[in-house]
Amino acid sequence: MPDLLARSAVRLDAAAADRDDAVRQCGLALVSAGAAEPGYVEAMLDRERTVSTYVGEGVAIPHGTLAGKELVHHDALCVLRFPGGVDWNGERVALCVGIAARDDGHVRILSELAQILLDPGRARRLRETADADEVIRLLRPDGEENAQ
Amino acid sequence: MPQRTVTIASRTGLHARPANLFVQAAAAQDVPVRIRAGERTAPADSILAVLALGAGHGAEVTLEADDGPGADAALDALAALLARDLDAEEPAGA
Repeated sequence: MPDLLARSAVRLDAAAADRDDAVRQCGLALVSAGAAEPGYVEAMLDRERTVSTYVGEGVAIPHGTLAGKELVHHDALCVLRFPGGVDWNGERVALCVGIAARDDGHVRILSELAQILLDPGRARRLRETADADEVIRLLRPDGEENAQ
Repeated sequence: MPQRTVTIASRTGLHARPANLFVQAAAAQDVPVRIRAGERTAPADSILAVLALGAGHGAEVTLEADDGPGADAALDALAALLARDLDAEEPAGA
């Protein structure tokens, strides 16, 4: 099974003109990782225009609509950091965690991701580390290393 | 303490869109409301805390508020929201 977060889907120095551009870049990262069909990018933009995926603390978690789930090949994340910030309906976003999830995977993935982001230490390192491998370690759900 | 136990009706569970609508509604209430799923309790107006609950379709959650004016009305409103399939109310084409 492919990794949830591929090394190639982590970019610490991204820049985006606006929110839609940032969402599109997240979608393309997921498509490039082989996690979804190109049409998933549009599904992510649709979701964002319907309800913002901003979750506070400068973090947004773009993902597709319900209909877009059929375009997902396997559950995956991408991490794009925007050091220059992106205007997100008046909020400033510096970290996007893009999500592609099949079936019921998204509830579990969102829950694990939210638990990580609720931990102030982990969330801060996620925002500040210069090491992409650390980003991958930080987003690894608790206990996964022990899972068979 | 006033409580309501309700089953998550949204097809895909209490995640992004249904969670957003729920959190917005909770923030608009006159009293703070907590939501409990299993061992976890979250302030109902925190999107991250609500997402962290990982409440899927059919999960049973408990809403609670401290005793006081407005508590029952707030719980009734939020329980009614969770009992609806919020995913089914997505605008056509979304």
